[in-house]
Amino acid sequence: MKNVVLRGKKTLEWIRRYKVRTAVLLGIFVLAAPKPVKSQFLDPCCAIMGAGLNTIGNALGSVIGGGLNAILSIEQDISKFEQTIVWPQKLINQARALVSDMQGVFTQMEGVMRIPVNSATLPATQQFEQNLLSRDPNQIPQTSTQYVAVYGAIPDAAAASPETRNLVDVTDAAAQAAMKRAIEIDALADLELQAADEINQSIATAAPGSAPIIETQADVWLVRANAYTQSATADLMRVQAVDLANASADVKNGAANTTAIRQQIYNLLKRP
Amino acid sequence: MVVLTRFLFGSFFVFFSYAMVVARNRRQVLAVTLAGVLFVALASPPPALAQGSLVAVIQSVLNIINGKIQSALNAINSVRAGVDRYYQEAIWPVSVINQAKALVTQMIGQYRNPMRSIFRVNLNSAILPNPIALENGMRNHQTSDFPELTTSFGKAFGSVPTTTAASPVDRMMVDMDDALAMDTLKTLKESDAADDFTLQAADSIEDQASEAAPGSAPFLTATATAASIESQALTQKMLAAELRQEAARLAHENALRKRGATITGDVSTLILNLLKRR
Repeated sequence: MKNVVLRGKKTLEWIRRYKVRTAVLLGIFVLAAPKPVKSQFLDPCCAIMGAGLNTIGNALGSVIGGGLNAILSIEQDISKFEQTIVWPQKLINQARALVSDMQGVFTQMEGVMRIPVNSATLPATQQFEQNLLSRDPNQIPQTSTQYVAVYGAIPDAAAASPETRNLVDVTDAAAQAAMKRAIEIDALADLELQAADEINQSIATAAPGSAPIIETQADVWLVRANAYTQSATADLMRVQAVDLANASADVKNGAANTTAIRQQIYNLLKRP
Repeated sequence: MVVLTRFLFGSFFVFFSYAMVVARNRRQVLAVTLAGVLFVALASPPPALAQGSLVAVIQSVLNIINGKIQSALNAINSVRAGVDRYYQEAIWPVSVINQAKALVTQMIGQYRNPMRSIFRVNLNSAILPNPIALENGMRNHQTSDFPELTTSFGKAFGSVPTTTAASPVDRMMVDMDDALAMDTLKTLKESDAADDFTLQAADSIEDQASEAAPGSAPFLTATATAASIESQALTQKMLAAELRQEAARLAHENALRKRGATITGDVSTLILNLLKRR
């Protein structure tokens, strides 16, 4: 107790002696001492902030929440419309199933068209027929040789007139070209059937958004197929045109021959 | 946090008091004072904002919400509502979609059976047994009876002459003509059978179209186009057969012309020789 009183006296004495230091110490402690936190309930600043936040919350709820709800309602309406009317999954699946069924029909059609139709009975004609029905463009170089083996070659210069030889040659050329074109068209048709299969298989796994792209590809192939059909029709018309020209040439040759024979008979009769 | 703050303040109190007590001269007191001031300046919290500034900030947030955000949401709402209306009234109106489906159904009812009946009218016209058999074989849409067709063809048009009855050239030409004629008849039987499949495909696609949706229709269109390509390919195969047949007919006539030219040359030579003898 004595020590405490003694220390207190010493402290008071130190304060009296060093007034400036004491003032500095007090000033710094007052400034550095932790200050109490302001209460929500007692401080007017927090009350204003609370009211402000409450107003902001109400505004968010009514303006933004209400607006978003209205948009959500329309989006739901659009979504329902698209899923039930525009792109119903059930009907899309049905369409895909039909496409798969179509593949079966296509396979049957192609199978039917691949049944061999060969009918010749003699060796040379069998070989020629095999070439014509081969659907293989690589066999076209043999067509002319086999054609000559069956239908004969152009008569030589001693055996027929130049006019007749020309006529025979152009007619053979038209007939052979048509036969070669038939081989080509068969090969092209096979490729078209293959492409159609490929396209149809793609459709079976397509999405509604990608189906029009495949449809465009199919349209392009259809245009191409039409072009080949026109080409085959053109060759058919050429054969028919040459046939008509042959008939006309026969009449012309007949007239020329008649005149020549008349002249020869006349010459014979003039002899003594 | 509070404990840490009190601990830091206590430590500062002890060290600062100790430094102030042990300072020996004015310079040291001044240094300790400056250190204390520096600590207070660094450790003291920033001044609180005034009440008027807080109200202004809250009001500005409210203005943004009620102004720009509300306008934007109203605009989005209006656009989406317009899109919805456009879809339902202009692009995919349900009533028009139903009309289209009804049209397909109506056309199926109106055309399918009459066309099928017309297509099935019997065209057979032969009256003798062999031609009747051949005609039946040619028109029965079957592809499993080619040998019977060959037999019927032989009975109706005759077979290739024997080696003693005709020259090799004539036999070859006859065989080639008959072969290409029969090839064409067989190809036509195949294409008749394929036609049946094509019509079946068309019916299936049409049935599906009668209940399609705008989103499923592209599948049907695409498969219909693929079927068209198949059909076009079959048409080409028929054309190829016709080309072979027409070419063979031309070749046949030309072969006769070649022979005629040779015979004419021979006859001319004979006549000239005869006349020379006189």
